[in-house]
Formats: sequence, structure tokens, C-alpha cells
Amino acid sequence: MSLLTLGHGSGGRLSGDLARRIACAFAPEGPPQEMEDCALLPEGWGVTLDGFTVTPRTFPGGNLGKLAVCGAVNDLAVRGVRPRYLCLGVIAEEGFPEDELMEHMASAAEVCAELHLRLVAGDTKVVPRGTADGLFLTTCAWGTPQRPDALGMTRLRPGDVLLLTGAPGRHGATIAAARYGLDAPGLESDCAPLGALLEPLYDLPGLRCMRDCTRGGVGTALGEWAEGGGVGLEIREVDLPRSPEVEDVAQLLGLDPLYLACEGTAVVAVAPEDAPEALARLRRSLRGGASAPIGVVTDRHPRWVGLRTRAGGTRVVDLPVGELLPRIC
Amino acid sequence: MCLAMPVRLERWEGPSEAWGRAGSVGVSFRTDLLDDVTVGDRVLVHAGFAIEKLREEDGAEREALWREIHRLGGQGE
Amino acid sequence: MTETLEGRLGELGRVLGRRVTFMEVCGTHTVELFRTGVRSMLPREIRLISGPGCPVCVTDQRDIDAALFLARLPGVIFTTYGDMLRVPGSRGSLGDARGEGADVRVITSAAQALEGARQTPCREVVFCAVGFETTAPATAAVLLEARRQGIKNFSVLSLHKRVPPALELLASAPDLAVDGFLLPGHVGVILGEEPFRFLPEKFGVPCALAGFEAEEMAAGIAELGRQVILRAPAVRSVYPRAVRPEGNPRARSLMEEVFSPARAPWRGLGEMASSGLALREDFSPFDARRRFDLPPFPFVSTPCACGAVLSGRIDPPECPLFGTSCTPVSPVGPCMVSGEGSCAAHHRFGRGWAE
Repeated sequence: MSLLTLGHGSGGRLSGDLARRIACAFAPEGPPQEMEDCALLPEGWGVTLDGFTVTPRTFPGGNLGKLAVCGAVNDLAVRGVRPRYLCLGVIAEEGFPEDELMEHMASAAEVCAELHLRLVAGDTKVVPRGTADGLFLTTCAWGTPQRPDALGMTRLRPGDVLLLTGAPGRHGATIAAARYGLDAPGLESDCAPLGALLEPLYDLPGLRCMRDCTRGGVGTALGEWAEGGGVGLEIREVDLPRSPEVEDVAQLLGLDPLYLACEGTAVVAVAPEDAPEALARLRRSLRGGASAPIGVVTDRHPRWVGLRTRAGGTRVVDLPVGELLPRIC
Repeated sequence: MCLAMPVRLERWEGPSEAWGRAGSVGVSFRTDLLDDVTVGDRVLVHAGFAIEKLREEDGAEREALWREIHRLGGQGE
Repeated sequence: MTETLEGRLGELGRVLGRRVTFMEVCGTHTVELFRTGVRSMLPREIRLISGPGCPVCVTDQRDIDAALFLARLPGVIFTTYGDMLRVPGSRGSLGDARGEGADVRVITSAAQALEGARQTPCREVVFCAVGFETTAPATAAVLLEARRQGIKNFSVLSLHKRVPPALELLASAPDLAVDGFLLPGHVGVILGEEPFRFLPEKFGVPCALAGFEAEEMAAGIAELGRQVILRAPAVRSVYPRAVRPEGNPRARSLMEEVFSPARAPWRGLGEMASSGLALREDFSPFDARRRFDLPPFPFVSTPCACGAVLSGRIDPPECPLFGTSCTPVSPVGPCMVSGEGSCAAHHRFGRGWAE
């Protein structure tokens, strides 16, 4: 009997495999090879569903409520969908303080207000003490696609330029620092809605696809593009936006920033002729100042992400496997 | 088998407990394994314990090593 | 003279003029050599093989079973470094045990385990002590503190091991052609140079103690090359900012006060005399093996070729299970499970393109 492990929920290969097996239960002919961040429905809607739980529930840069809304709307934003409506599911554990629940709801509502997003349906459950880790939130967001064509990784072509909107791993590093008792001033989660940053790119004809880097971080997003898109990617380590605070926490715990979670950072793939304009538009945005070109799509080594290292060598960036655990060795 | 980080000792928290910064991150660590370490020292911390006091290094020895390799090549090996 | 690391390594290869095989002993070196790209810059004259320096990888399956036995005891809080969580015993790993309800907690310092015991005096706290001489002194310091403070609910399962006996086994193997050992810099921080001197003196093998940044590891390889070219094997540190020739005497004395060398099984290498660190008699109340009266655990053989990998006889891709039935998602052996295992490193970094 196969038991689920925390690794199955960490993003990366185990999570992807589990998602595919679940999708297979509903589509015996097989799920699509590539799994995008949201679904574009024939009736003209884009829709996504996301579940959220995090410890600690409040962290520098946000809380679970904010995370739950941002996560869902970002899945829409990266496929060119402007979010319009939200459904919210709340599962709370017996004994959970109502004040804290309302704090998360207030934060969630704040994001909705910023985006003119309407909460139209919801559900609340309280379960016996010990059967939920405090509070779980599930959000379903849907909205209107702003482009006639579907953005997706199958559009990637050799020569396309890869842009990253901020330093990798800020959310994961913030959570790890909190969990392992590290004092990291200046480190905060990148948790934020991406719509304002990405919408200026929607009308670029050369926009291929975008991805919300969440669990498993930038490394996972790139790996999934390489495998799903059947293309090679080449990244340059020196061009990755850097956060010294993330790097310090990561080094202390033996973790890799490329695989630490983000919650407000996107990779953008754009045809070379549109790349300078895309970068300029990102950098003009309030949250996009650190955006940078980090690499290209290549016809070499299809399905693999290669990294040119700071020291001048090369290595592969594979999908992470399992839970990211701190190491001493 | 040894992830370790340079940490600058900033204050004492107990007879063999100290707190310092690895880059920007503050971290507590133990000093049981070192005899003579004071505030301002840079120590190498592994698994929560300082294992050595770090010395300044300017890379000169490394450069000398590469120069020697280069020189050995010139002697027609 | 060339300035780039790749250029310098290339020149080293040309000056060597023949193929050499260096063994990097330390699991952290294995990972960092890949991760920094230094491996990809090596000239064809220099071949690197990985050795048994991953303390997680060499933890015997029977010792994992002992850990699992303790973790599954009702009421026990089992503390471990994260590195150990996924290593398979004969029936699952500590991570699996946690999933089944065992109270397994990941810590980043042995001191946290003792603190946990102080905070929950009514529960037994066991610390799974893994690591080589870099890590054992910390365990020793914590045990001394536990004894000083009369802590009654704390014990240690010592799986600590010593590096020099494993190197002696490798150096004396007739079929192992290693032209130099890249030695773990942080073990050197504790031990100093002396415990490794038998390698050049008795076996004629060059040794370099190296740090873990790209420049430092490349310098380690350069130093081995230098000794080969000059036919002058020695133990030399190229990690001056951290390694003192005499090591850290205080750390060693704490280690010697608490532990004595003992016969220990190494996964893949077999049992070696004096290769493990067992708690001395004075500390027997804190020895989890004695405190909990562990039963013997049977050896279960697997098709895993970790032994051959750990002793550098084969590269991971040469194992028939590599990448097929043994992958990071479904590992058969510890070299694939451990974050710094040779097989995991090759699988993670070395497939598809870079090699």
C-alpha cells in the first residue's frame, strides 16, 4: 500500500506524478502531457483551483489569507486571464481562534479589493482538533482571457528569451527561516498578485508563455517547461536576480534557492524580437524592478535545463524530488 | 559531509552559546569546541557548532599554486 | 598564464600529460563539484570518482532499522538531521515512519535534541547521531552537557564514523587505482593533517585537504596534480582559512572523552575495525543501544551496487539499476536517497547534457 508523503506535496517530480495519476482517474485516455497553471475553457473562461496551508500562518510579507488569493489569481495571470470571481473554502480546526481566521479573511479581502475580484461563493467547515493543521484554505478563481490565443509551454521555440521577474526563493526562504529559528531581517515573502506586473505584456505578439513559480521554485517551473514543451533551456547563473538574504538562509540550511518556493515571481518566455520591450515593461512595473533576462530556449539537449555556473562550468537543473530538507552534510 | 558557514560572532548568550550573523542572517550557535573566541571573530559553524576560527585569506597561496603548475608545464613535462 | 578556472584546469591536464584518477572522498565535495560546474570543466586527463564520504550513504541498513525501531517506540521523540529522513531501512525510512505516526523531528543541531529533552521531561528523546569527525565533536559536547546537568530522558544512537579507516581500506585495495585523494576540508578542520599521513607515507598516494567553493576545490585538484607531477605525495591543505595543520585539539579531546573507536558496519564496504565511534562506558545511560535494549537486526541484501559506487569501483551510471529502477523518486540504495549521495548527485546534475 502506497502512502502519500510530504514529498508528494512539495512541488517537483513527485507532486507532478501524483497530479498526473489523479488526472488519469478522470481521463482514462490520459491527461495532457503538459499541465499549465490554469485551464482555458471553450466557453471563454479561465479557471484555476488552489489549496493552501502554511506554517507559520503569518510571515514577513503576508499570511495564509493573502497567499490563498494571490496563488489562485497568479495562476490565471500567467495565462493571460484577468481574474473576476473567487470561491473560497475554509477548513478550520476545532479551537482555532476566530480573530485569527478573520485576520486571514481581511488580508484575502484586501487582495480582492485591489484586483476588483468578487467573492461569490464559499464554504466553511470546522473539523475536530488534530485533524487539520490549524487552517486550510482553498480558492477557485476564474476570469476572462485577455488574448485570443492560449499561452502555453508548447509554444516555446529555440531562440525564445526567458525573463525572471525577481529573485528566486523568497517565500520558501522566509518560511524556512521562520521554521528553523533563523533571524533574517530584510527577508520577506514575495507573496503578491502578479496581474499588474504581467498584464502590460499581454498584447505582445511574441509572448509565448508565463509560469507562476510556486512550490518547487524557479527550478521546477523551468524543468516543467523543458519536459512539457519538449525543448532545452539554457540559464546563466550570473544573470539570475539575487537576494542576499535568501542565499544566506539557503546556505545555512543546505537548500538551493532555485527550488525554494516563490509566491509572486514569474518566468516569462518571449520571442527574441519582443524581449527588450517585454523586459522594459516589466521593469517599469512597481514589483518588476528586478526583472532580468536569465536565459534562452535552445534546440540543444531537449527536455533538459542547463545552467552555466558562476564559476564558468555547466550543470543540469533537474526537477527536485521530495521534500526540501535542511542538511548538515 | 560538511556544510558549514562563516558566521561573525556578535554577542554572547551563555557560557558557550553565542549569536552571530552569516551574511544577513542571525543564527545562534555553540562554542564548546573552541577555546579562545571573542566578539568580532569569524567562525565556521557546522550543525549548530563553531568548529574553527576562520583566518583571513587573500587567495595568494592559490595563485602561487597555479603559477607553479604553469611553471611545471614550461619545463617540458 | 590563463585566468579562467577552465583554462587553468585545462593547463593542469596538459602538464599532467596522462590520465589520472582522483577520488573525492566527501559527499559535500561530490555535490559541490557538480553544482558549481567544476566537474564539467575538468580536462579529459583528470577523472574524478566519488568515495565513501557520505555519512548518510554509508549508514548500514541494520543501523537504519535500529533507528526505525527507536522511532516507532511509543512516546519516543526521535530527533534527526534532515539528511537521514529518506534513507531506506529494510522496511521504510524515518520519513515513512513519520507518515505512519512516529514522532520524528528534523533538527539542525544536536543541542536542539537536548533542549527538546529538557522541555519534555516526561518523554524519552533520542538523537540519531550521524556524521564523521566534523560532526561527532558536537554530539560529544551535548553528551557532556547532558551528563553535567543530570538529564534523565536523553539518549544518543551513535552512528558516527571515522574517515581514516575507510581511506586505509580503499588505499590498500589491490584493484583500486587512485592517483590522489581529495580530502574533506571540514574533517581536516577537526583532525588536522596527521591522521591522513599514512596515505602518502605508507601507500604513496597524494592527498589534498580542500574547501568547498569552486576555487577551493579546483585548488585541491591542482595540488593533487602538482604532487603527481613532482612524484612527491604528501598531505597538504589548500584550505588555509579553515584548516590548521594540527586541527582542532579541543574538539578532538571532547570526542575522545565521550567516544571510543569501535568496529562498525559501513554500507557497501563491510565492517571495519575502529571505524565507528561508540559511547564510552561512562556514558552508557545515554547510549540508546543499551538504554532500549535493541534487538539484533538482520541484514537484508538488495541488488543495490552502492558498495561498488562508494569504493569508487564503478561510476553511478554503470550500476544497472541507475536511472531505471533506482531513481531519486524510487531509490533502492542510500547513494540515491541522500542529498549528497554519489548516485543522487549524478542523477540530479550529470544526466542529459552536462556530461
